[in-house]
Amino acid sequence: MDVSDATAVLAKARQGDNEAFRMLVEQHSRRAFQLAYRITGNQQDAEDVVQESFIRAYRQLSRFEARAHFATWLHRIVANCSVDLIRSRRSRWDHASMDDIAPVEQPCTESPDPERLAESAHIERSVATAMAELTPLERAAFTLRHYEGRSIAEIGQTLGLGVSATKHSVFRAVRKLRTALEPLRGES
Amino acid sequence: MKHYTEEDLILHYYSERGRRTDIDVHLDQCESCAAAYRALAGTLRLIATPEAPERGDQYGLEVWQRIRHRLPEQEVPWWNVWFRADRLATAGAFAVLLLAAFVAGRWWSAPDGAPAPVVASNTQTVTTPVSDEARQRILLTAVADHLDRSERVLTEIMNAPAGEDISSEQRWAEDLVAASRLYRQDAVDAGERSVADVLDELERSLLEVVHTPSQATAAELKLIRRRIDAASLLFKVRVLGRELREREAPDRPRTRTLSSQIS
Repeated sequence: MDVSDATAVLAKARQGDNEAFRMLVEQHSRRAFQLAYRITGNQQDAEDVVQESFIRAYRQLSRFEARAHFATWLHRIVANCSVDLIRSRRSRWDHASMDDIAPVEQPCTESPDPERLAESAHIERSVATAMAELTPLERAAFTLRHYEGRSIAEIGQTLGLGVSATKHSVFRAVRKLRTALEPLRGES
Repeated sequence: MKHYTEEDLILHYYSERGRRTDIDVHLDQCESCAAAYRALAGTLRLIATPEAPERGDQYGLEVWQRIRHRLPEQEVPWWNVWFRADRLATAGAFAVLLLAAFVAGRWWSAPDGAPAPVVASNTQTVTTPVSDEARQRILLTAVADHLDRSERVLTEIMNAPAGEDISSEQRWAEDLVAASRLYRQDAVDAGERSVADVLDELERSLLEVVHTPSQATAAELKLIRRRIDAASLLFKVRVLGRELREREAPDRPRTRTLSSQIS
């Protein structure tokens, strides 16, 4: 089976062909991990989300409409799995180690001086702390809008929310982040 | 002059507003809105996209290795569930079974010499009762069919490789347990002791199949098979089925009875 023939692979997977499903897993895992990591902010949680998402996807393959794009459908599952996981591990999140947060890409300078590096690390930690204070839905909605560049309509579809509820999730997230990060603006 | 709200400015920042030019024009003219927008944008720019830890080319394969043994059964759309060939066959078998059980209940429980039931309506119309012989044939056919189906399930279980998913056999066995119970009771009522005994053993083995994990280990399968073998169940089911078919067609020469063969 040729992995480049996405339609054929998908059709086989829907018929219960595990080899075809393996191809889908291999093809989409890295991107799924990236999204899960951005929403959960934690490597181990992102790993768990990826596995759980593929298991859910396998179970629900019959619901997948052939006209849709598998990646879009899978990312919807990943986002919702992430929300579920954050909800279930909320207490762990409250004590999450900021060491898990990877370095944030900052505009490059020729030779970043120690002061600037320290400042970047401080901002990263503040952002991570502020993000951890968001509700799971606010966090997912904000991640999809701010990091992933999805439109409000797409986020609503992904999270199963109406347009108005989606907007308000993003608004609340932005307000909370502003409150937490406003002091940094003067410092940076 | 109309000022924009924070929500408008957030949507503007994320390019969600269609009236971008209107807001841009306003921001050029209104210092308070422009300041609010600069503050908002300045804060949001601090939030850089976190780089996810790199995952290698083999990552997909690693994920597959971790989930491959945990894959559940795929959901089947409800219309597929109802129109799957085996489901239709089961539904058909159940319809026949119900009819047979109804007839059998009336036939086996009727005392010797009792008049055949007659159903009369208030318009004095009399329906012709099904003859005893016809009832017996329906029952024999139904029990013989039931034994055939049970034999097939047991044979599948006897030959299933260890670790293979036997959930379809289990569903089949589950359907057969209910039928077996019904026939056993009818056989007891009719004084057909040998038939009732075989159906009782069959029911117990089918229940064991139902309650075994769907991906049974070699040891679990061995246990079921040993019990089926110990009771010579497959043999009994096969012989009883054949005997009932012969009773169904009385013109054919009869073989030895079940009790004589299994004792």
